[in-house]
Amino acid sequence: MKETFSVRLKKDFRRNKMLYLLVVPVLLFYLIFQYRPMYGALIAFKDYTPTLGVADSPWVGLDNFNRFFNSVYFNRLIKNTVLLSVYNLVFGFPAPIILALLLNEIKSKKFKSATQTVTYLPHFISLIVVTGMLRDFSLTSGLFNDIITFFGGERSALLQNPKLYRSIYVASSIWQEVGWGSIIYLSALSGVDSELYEAAQIDGAGKWKQMLNITLPGIAPTIIIMLTMKIGTLMNMGYEKTILLYNPATYETADIISSYVYRVGLLEQDWSYSTAIGLFNSIINLTLLLIANKLAKRFSETSLW
Amino acid sequence: MKKKFVSLLTATAVIATSLAGCGQGGGSQETTKAPETQAPAQSTESGGAAQSAEFAYPMAAGAKLTYWAPLNDNVSANYSNLGDTFFGKALMAQTGVDIEFMHPPLNQQVEQFSLILADGNLPDLMEYDWLPLYPGGPEKAITDGVILPLNDIIEQYCPNLSKYLAENPDIDRMIQTDEGTYYCFPFIRGDGKLCNTIGPMMRKDWLDELGLEVPTTIDEWHTVLTAFKEQKGATAPFTYEQDREQLRDTDPFAYAYNTTRTFYLGSDGKVHYGAAEPEFKDYLATMAQWYKEGLIDADLATLSVDQVSAKMTSGTAGASVGWAGSRLGAWTKAAQATNPDYELVATPYPTTQKGAYPEFGQIENQYSGRASVAITTSCKDVERAARMLDYAYGEDGHFLYNFGVEGESYNMVDGYPAYTDLILDNPDGLPISQAMAAYIRGCYNGPFVQDLRYLEQYYTLQNQKDTPDIWGASNGKAHVVPPITPTTEESKEYSTIMNEVRTYRDEMILKFIFGTESIDNFDTYIANMEKMGLSRALEIQNAALARYNAR
Repeated sequence: MKETFSVRLKKDFRRNKMLYLLVVPVLLFYLIFQYRPMYGALIAFKDYTPTLGVADSPWVGLDNFNRFFNSVYFNRLIKNTVLLSVYNLVFGFPAPIILALLLNEIKSKKFKSATQTVTYLPHFISLIVVTGMLRDFSLTSGLFNDIITFFGGERSALLQNPKLYRSIYVASSIWQEVGWGSIIYLSALSGVDSELYEAAQIDGAGKWKQMLNITLPGIAPTIIIMLTMKIGTLMNMGYEKTILLYNPATYETADIISSYVYRVGLLEQDWSYSTAIGLFNSIINLTLLLIANKLAKRFSETSLW
Repeated sequence: MKKKFVSLLTATAVIATSLAGCGQGGGSQETTKAPETQAPAQSTESGGAAQSAEFAYPMAAGAKLTYWAPLNDNVSANYSNLGDTFFGKALMAQTGVDIEFMHPPLNQQVEQFSLILADGNLPDLMEYDWLPLYPGGPEKAITDGVILPLNDIIEQYCPNLSKYLAENPDIDRMIQTDEGTYYCFPFIRGDGKLCNTIGPMMRKDWLDELGLEVPTTIDEWHTVLTAFKEQKGATAPFTYEQDREQLRDTDPFAYAYNTTRTFYLGSDGKVHYGAAEPEFKDYLATMAQWYKEGLIDADLATLSVDQVSAKMTSGTAGASVGWAGSRLGAWTKAAQATNPDYELVATPYPTTQKGAYPEFGQIENQYSGRASVAITTSCKDVERAARMLDYAYGEDGHFLYNFGVEGESYNMVDGYPAYTDLILDNPDGLPISQAMAAYIRGCYNGPFVQDLRYLEQYYTLQNQKDTPDIWGASNGKAHVVPPITPTTEESKEYSTIMNEVRTYRDEMILKFIFGTESIDNFDTYIANMEKMGLSRALEIQNAALARYNAR
């Protein structure tokens, strides 16, 4: 007869008292700092004034959401946010994987660690510094234009061109994060059994075949988990990099939901409006995450839950 | 054993470093010299009838007041708290009130302000841009229960302020709400000349070299900028900081066409939105033409103050728009170190016709709503707070806020308060702005009336001293919108509309100037702004204006 849950729990507790104790602070952290604040999401449906507080502010139902949906820029904001995220995903997601695979093949230890250090370093540079550099280099007289003219092109103000904005944004993100992102893949690679490689070599498989049949399937669980999590943050493009890089000339491709809300929020200090938009974002993200997880379960053995 | 010790040490060091971030960030603390014992100010004779004649500063010992205010960066360079400055100490000694100053991190006053409100633990006094920044306006701040209405308080405890307002009825009108409520102790620019601080400027040494006169019309500007480009090799003859809203809105070339990018008061006494008027099309056409010819900086949209400063001082640019102090003065001083011939001159606001008097020019209202102090509903000793603030509007307080401590930071020379070398030529090598900020508030803002004589001495270079006359020569005062507020019901609608209009306007202006959008589409541009509700916004503004005029 299977024991009831409480009996099993008690038994397990007695045996692993210390482990439970260890996890208590973590649980508390989540309860206090992640779950309890969700109560504040209510202000998305209210007309919130700080002095009245969350409880006493009047209800306005879906007014804040409607205001957002009816905004002239709603379509453009969604389009820019989604496109920028998708570009980041399509180009930025494979980059660390490719780098990890390449690093894995390097024989010389010295060269390998030198390359790793060089690629990790940009991750630690503050965003403000990176965008400052980008803005300087993109000037008509700046470094990027020097390179362009060297290859026979014409000088132009790169960050004023809406067509170039996404490329600059994504390329600089890749440059900054590819090294750091490859760490997790490198560690997954080290977990692939080397005997498999030997067996494959004996069977006559070349480097490319080995990669397709051993390496990639070996790190597939890691890739799928990372991909699922990335999809879950698709709509969450942060505003910091955007507001540092954009200007009115590039609003049409650069202005995303969070940067628009930042401008609106700063001028109005409209907490309810920004919360409503944030909630909208989160709901979309959650839906995407559920879909991604379902697909991962269907097509592979790994999934987030 | 040694291994354990090393690892223990490393662990402690790591924990200590991670906790370092928890400490208060702040400017370096300069060891302040012990303040000389202040001779207590003479009792301010009250002029108001409802005032007991026995009241005198400094007040008897009493409750400590908490005072929240943004810390100006000229102060924070050397002090982390206003109470540590000579000014702060003198204020407390002269009024007899102990004040605990609290400051938000630099440039984060808006965010911190909201957090304080949400928290509910309000300090006694809050210095903030109540008029422009409190959502819904100052009347809402009162109805929300954040600050106290001050009418009775001013009548009972503030003879100095009452007297000043009685003598200056137009200022009196500016600082009330539409309903006639006083809500703050205001920052007032005491003289009209203090209100035009921004204007166009260009390289005088280049003009002399090329044999050109200072331009006064758009055509003359065109000639000068072309000469700068072709004969002086300036790749960006005209440049300025696009990312600063204040400078964008005071574009001198828009003024030349009798319009502006934002709201202005028309000659018909109504509020207009310059960016939607037909004259604006002419302005844009000229700018697009200049941009095509390479007379305007190609990177216009991405410029910030560092890049503009670098261009202006190095000779890549020849003309710009900016403040007399932090741009004209700063650039002249910096560039003259390596190029002694470098000279900047302030140019008058241009017009389209030779000899015409500029109809528009930059000018601010004497009361802009900035840096004014309100008494919050958490204040227990309202009388004490009010009297402490009222000190600034009396004679002794006026001198303290504008000139500092007599004998230390200024001396009366033939009836004129002249700053001492401690300010003008600081022995520790501090720039004037920082030396001043340690002793006075006149060099930035606060709850007092700013004195013109501070500016006369702050501008040390002749080209700076000329600026109020050159830039003030316009009819701009007639076109600046007075400090009006929409009603609390309308303000949300107004901000929704204006957010979209502003975004659209900023985008389209650049598109027109860069040539990506043809000027022929100007009418579509206006139609789009109408669709966003521009007329409704103008309606709200005009209603607010009518209420203001009826005050």
